[in-house]
Amino acid sequence: MGDLKLQNITIDYDHTPVVHDFSLTVENGQMASLLGPSGAGKTTVLKAVAGLLQPRSGEIFIDGRLANGLPPEKRNAVMVFQKNLLFPFMNVEQNIGFGLRMQGRSNAEVHRRIEKILELTELTGLNRRKVHELSGGQQQRVSLARALVLQPAILLLDEPLSSLDATLRQQMRELIQDIQAQTRITTLFVTHDQAEALMMSQRVCLLLNGRIRQVGNPQELFYRPADPEVARFFGGCNFFEGQLKNGVYYSPFATVAAPELADNGQRLNATIRPEDILISVKGTQGLPGRVQKASFEGGTTRIWVQCQNRVFVVLAPRTDLCAGQNVRLHLPKDKIRIFPPGN
Amino acid sequence: MVAAGVIVVVLLPFVPLVMWSLSDRWFYPELWPRQWGLRAWQYVFSTAGTQILGGLWQSVGVAATVSCISVGIGMPAGRALGLFDFRGKDLVAVVLILPVIVPPLCVAMGLHLWFIIIGLAGSFLGVVLVHLTFCLPYAVFVMWGIFSNYDPAYEEQARSLGAPAWKVLVRVTLPLTFPGIIVAGLFAFLLSWSQYLSTLIIGGGKVATLPILLFALMGSGDRPVAAAVSIVFVAPAMLALLFSARYLGGRSITGVR
Repeated sequence: MGDLKLQNITIDYDHTPVVHDFSLTVENGQMASLLGPSGAGKTTVLKAVAGLLQPRSGEIFIDGRLANGLPPEKRNAVMVFQKNLLFPFMNVEQNIGFGLRMQGRSNAEVHRRIEKILELTELTGLNRRKVHELSGGQQQRVSLARALVLQPAILLLDEPLSSLDATLRQQMRELIQDIQAQTRITTLFVTHDQAEALMMSQRVCLLLNGRIRQVGNPQELFYRPADPEVARFFGGCNFFEGQLKNGVYYSPFATVAAPELADNGQRLNATIRPEDILISVKGTQGLPGRVQKASFEGGTTRIWVQCQNRVFVVLAPRTDLCAGQNVRLHLPKDKIRIFPPGN
Repeated sequence: MVAAGVIVVVLLPFVPLVMWSLSDRWFYPELWPRQWGLRAWQYVFSTAGTQILGGLWQSVGVAATVSCISVGIGMPAGRALGLFDFRGKDLVAVVLILPVIVPPLCVAMGLHLWFIIIGLAGSFLGVVLVHLTFCLPYAVFVMWGIFSNYDPAYEEQARSLGAPAWKVLVRVTLPLTFPGIIVAGLFAFLLSWSQYLSTLIIGGGKVATLPILLFALMGSGDRPVAAAVSIVFVAPAMLALLFSARYLGGRSITGVR
């Protein structure tokens, strides 16, 4: 156990920076996720923490200790890769014991710890199995067990679930969460799946194009995105413009009191989540609009509504609207997120 | 069936060889030796025993040294070529294939003069070096192939699990590339084992490997003895091949992407 602190990390790849001025703190026992589309530099950050590549500038502190010059084997931060990378010439037990052997632990201790971790990762009895005889989910669990058995200060998970199918992935998520809650190992979890990040972690760090865009708890990122791009990443699709006058935000679609935004006369962007818009067929209240199309998505239906010169996307449960229908939209004031100036 | 067929085809040429070695008198155009006997084998094991044993050791010594050096250099070279793109990679490939294209005679003749000047002619080291000119490229090519299908992430995983660099090499890289190492080593060994001309030119008769002795005996016209020595010459190579056969199959290279 320990905390992880990254300060102003810049990492180059082939002389071009892929991660810029990255700072992040993960507190002891916390599970944080590093979220971003592929190619955003997430794995690069993880590798830098693991010591597999050197940042051009900035400091990495693991458990309060400066780790910059340390080789990977002295870092006490273990990385689990996207591919399970189990050594094919070793069985399950030997794979899991690899790190312990490297530390020169006694046979008895190695066996005791392997048994314990097999139980924790629900692999009991598979000790002697060859790696290629395991299912995909089992392989991924062995790969996780191999890191967990070392009880590292920091556990680095690089999209360990992306190769699994949906059901198995959900099971593994729960398993990882349970294990993390039990062992309290500080974990940095990389994913491109926003739902996974929100679900798994206490703290989410959104990385776009090698730069941190927002850090906070899952609710903050979801409901109070720092800028339109962050909102878009989390599925936001309704953006409109308005003007600030005497602490009130005026837009053609909503008028919201915004006392915290003092600057007068500024044009500011705002957004509302598609599931927060209320849609009704009857009544005279709200904004008049016309349904462009509707697509059934199971639990909800996605409806595109033309309203003045804008198209709003609405997610509503159990509606039987069809194209061409006239509807009323209601944008609840407290659900509107006005972006701070500059966005 | 197929396997049996292959074995028959491979072993067929050895039948007359064995017959020759067991004949005392066999005259053209007879299909069968007139008289069987163990004269040739007696010659091989007792009369010329020490000489042939010496040749055997000399051959094993040269081939094993060449094989070890080829793998030792071929592995890092193949790794660099297989895993990284760098400027002049095509040029390296051409330079590597040159000794394979140029006849050994030319290489040996060309090197002979220089080896005399620097005192390597007629020495064990000189013969090893000239064999390396043909054997090393093959080893590099084999390891190049192995490493183009190799995932270096295994090494990163091992490092992250706490293995220092040298242990990663011993515990991860070597086992993962083991089949390739066996193939490359065997290639180099067999190539060196069957060298005659270059050994003769550079060794000048002082490095008397088995082929040198074999050719001398062939020249003397004693067919049964030559046949017996040929069998002695082929046997170790066959053994080496059988020993490593399981690494040559498809099962071999696991751990590869």
